[in-house]
Amino acid sequence: MSPTSSNEDLKEGTARRKPPGRTGRRSPLVRFLARRVLTALLLAVGITLVTFVLTNMVPGDPVSANLGQRALGDPAIVAQWRAEHGLDKPLPQQYLLHLQGVLQGDLGTSQQSHRPVLDDLAESVPATLELAGAAILISLVAGVAFGVIAALRRDRLSDHVLRVISLIGISVPTFWLALTAFYVFFYRLQVTPGSGRIDPGMSPPPQVTGLYTVDSALAGQWDVFSSAVGHLITPALVLALYTIGLLTRFTRSAVLEVLGQDYVRAARAKGLPPRVILFRYVLRSALVPIITVAGLAFGSLLSGTVLVEAIFAWPGVGQYAYKSATTLDLPAVMGVGLVVGGVYLVINLIVDVLYGVIDPRVRLQ
Amino acid sequence: MATRSRRPGAKAALLPVLLTGALALAACSSGGSSTTSQSGGGTAAAKTLVIDTSFDLKTADPGRTYEPTGLIIGKAAYETLLTFEGSDVTKPVPALAESFELSDDGKELTLKLRQGATFADGSPVTADDVVFSLNRVRDMKGTPSFLLDGVEVAKTGADTITLTSKSANPALPYILPNPALGILNSKVAKEHGATTDAGDKAEQYLNSASAGSGPYTIESFNVSTQVVLKANAKYWGPDKPVYDKVVLRNVEAATQKLNISRGDSQVALNLSGDQVAGITGDLTVKKTASANVIFLLANQNPAVSKVTSNPKFAEAVRKGVDYAGLLELAGEGSVQAPGVIPSMLLGALPPEQAAKRDIEGAKAALKESGVADPTVKLEYPSELTVNGLSFQPLAERVQANLKEVGITVELAPAPITTALDNYRNGKEELGLWYWGPDYPDPSDYLSFLPGKLVGLRAGWKAGADKELEAAGEKAATTIGDEARKQAYVDVQTKLNASGPFVPLIQPSQNIVTAKSVTGLEFHPVWTVDVADLK
Repeated sequence: MSPTSSNEDLKEGTARRKPPGRTGRRSPLVRFLARRVLTALLLAVGITLVTFVLTNMVPGDPVSANLGQRALGDPAIVAQWRAEHGLDKPLPQQYLLHLQGVLQGDLGTSQQSHRPVLDDLAESVPATLELAGAAILISLVAGVAFGVIAALRRDRLSDHVLRVISLIGISVPTFWLALTAFYVFFYRLQVTPGSGRIDPGMSPPPQVTGLYTVDSALAGQWDVFSSAVGHLITPALVLALYTIGLLTRFTRSAVLEVLGQDYVRAARAKGLPPRVILFRYVLRSALVPIITVAGLAFGSLLSGTVLVEAIFAWPGVGQYAYKSATTLDLPAVMGVGLVVGGVYLVINLIVDVLYGVIDPRVRLQ
Repeated sequence: MATRSRRPGAKAALLPVLLTGALALAACSSGGSSTTSQSGGGTAAAKTLVIDTSFDLKTADPGRTYEPTGLIIGKAAYETLLTFEGSDVTKPVPALAESFELSDDGKELTLKLRQGATFADGSPVTADDVVFSLNRVRDMKGTPSFLLDGVEVAKTGADTITLTSKSANPALPYILPNPALGILNSKVAKEHGATTDAGDKAEQYLNSASAGSGPYTIESFNVSTQVVLKANAKYWGPDKPVYDKVVLRNVEAATQKLNISRGDSQVALNLSGDQVAGITGDLTVKKTASANVIFLLANQNPAVSKVTSNPKFAEAVRKGVDYAGLLELAGEGSVQAPGVIPSMLLGALPPEQAAKRDIEGAKAALKESGVADPTVKLEYPSELTVNGLSFQPLAERVQANLKEVGITVELAPAPITTALDNYRNGKEELGLWYWGPDYPDPSDYLSFLPGKLVGLRAGWKAGADKELEAAGEKAATTIGDEARKQAYVDVQTKLNASGPFVPLIQPSQNIVTAKSVTGLEFHPVWTVDVADLK
């Protein structure tokens, strides 16, 4: 690129930014969004490369993980298996084939289920989304509420109690909590149903969204719905406890900070109703750090589901990932990596966009 | 001022908290009610049987099945020509074939097909179905293809099938009951892409529906979560399936214990000796020695190890291990393995021939070997458990035992996918592994001889022990139960005297069932026959 053209670009850029026309308020947000989406797409390609390299760096031969002791003794069977799974080609070519497949919506065939990885994921992803979604809902509602209460009742008994609860939530390992909750509520108290998404005798509702609670409600199968909600509640609460703790602490400190600001004092002095002050002034300002933490928390939720899913026999991505990794099912591992990476990207994108919406300063940076 | 503003704000914020609480309570109570209705699952109303097991499953296509969970499903959905009665694997009995006869030279097995057997769609089981199914398994080169290596299958009459092997094959009647050799409805299978070569495409179909004549059919199938079997309403046999539905769930062992104790499931297959020790109440625990033999191998290849390839080294290890201690570790129901052939098979060594700990003898053997203060690396799969028994404590115990003899053992655990590589390529100095029978016949254990599959993994090349190899060849072609028994006892006695393997133990297989479930038999090939359960 010649220096002149870049100068022109520069001029054009400054020219576009300068006049604060009528569209001036919207266009920075649109440009901000476009930039974010573009970065996300580039990152997605990066994810495919990283997952591919990482999965292929694992010591161990997928052949010995997938064939029996006897079949391994027969070179013909081994060679055929390699060819069938494209493992006889050089690595760069394998990656290009993989990338090409991904772009065409084909994630390859799982070596364990012998089904398209996409079909497997279509079954396990909604299960995890239902679990993680319920957990994030519970933790947003409870965490923000607890944080606000703790801030408003600073140094009183309720504040101390909530702070202890949040400390426990943050410091207790999720798998221990899951085991304990399963033992106490299912085995000892017998108030919650057992493992899985619904009772073993029941058939899943006809698939629309893949979320059993939603699908069963849509189909009007209320017995399945109540079973699905019953099975969901304990693992979701277990998962939520960590994020509740995190959100409580951050909300509390964010709200306390805003409460000390001059404009809040001014609002109070003007005699505005406390509810208006809380929702219009305090919470809105406190929302930015809360969203940051909620976004991060969603990530930790996803990793937490691996263990919670194992303990509650929840047929989600966590279980699928674990089984794929231990059987060196490379296409499945790469598929899971892509999905988890994709979810992170989307969450980050949502968080960024929310910043832009809530805080105009962010768009202009 | 401050106090005035605080309280109403708190009230507003309390609202969502109350809502969450109410929601949680509502959900818990609904969950509770659904559990009560379901805890009667094993009895009259629902007729659903729930089996919890840690899945080892890849497919429901019988021709590709080779994993424990897959064999349970295969046994329920498909029938084979021959089978075993209960847990007795020393005598094959007719199933789809009404009779069978092995020729005097052991090369020809002639089977007469039973009349009146039908597939789940009502069509009759024919000799053509048998020929197609067996040829398919052998020629599509799936994992179990080796079972029929070199066996020609032919229809030699309207209802007669003849299996011809190149050399004497007295093991064939013991191989045929393997659920991998289940007979497919060839018409249905062909419609869905089944062929008798490597291009076979029927697996996807066979993973969603079954095309067999067994007492159950597959209703739904998911390799990582659960498999649902449905009673075959048209089952031809005299013993109709008892349960309308059988659900196999993939559940961690710790959760299995809570599930069955609570009545959420009726069968738990994977509890370890420790876990069943604390089980009380209305449950039955069946403890049987499994057919898995855990053994040590000392590499015979001097390029891999100067120490372990020394002929006296294996003897020092054999005498140095504290077998009683290992049994204590493995829990009640486990037994010491006197040879590589497990106790329930024809030709197993009697318990009194098992090695005993002899520290002085071990020290003497080590001294004779001329190796002073040897240090060896023991490799084993770190996360593998056999019948709930982990390899880690076993390896640690062996390490401590051999320390007393003067052998320093360095533990080198690795994830199974990594560990298998070294094992398979014969690069392990000292290895801790197990062997489960491919089929319940002693000929499966000839793999341990020099130049054979497991022998090579111990760096033991063909020609390393001519006398033993000759004994092995003789055993492979010997006909007649009593003569075969003698031949295999002879092979194992020689193997124990000079071989690189140290058979350790057969861990216990613990199956826990609700009192409402009867008829359970542990089976070394298919673990449990769902149709046995009443």
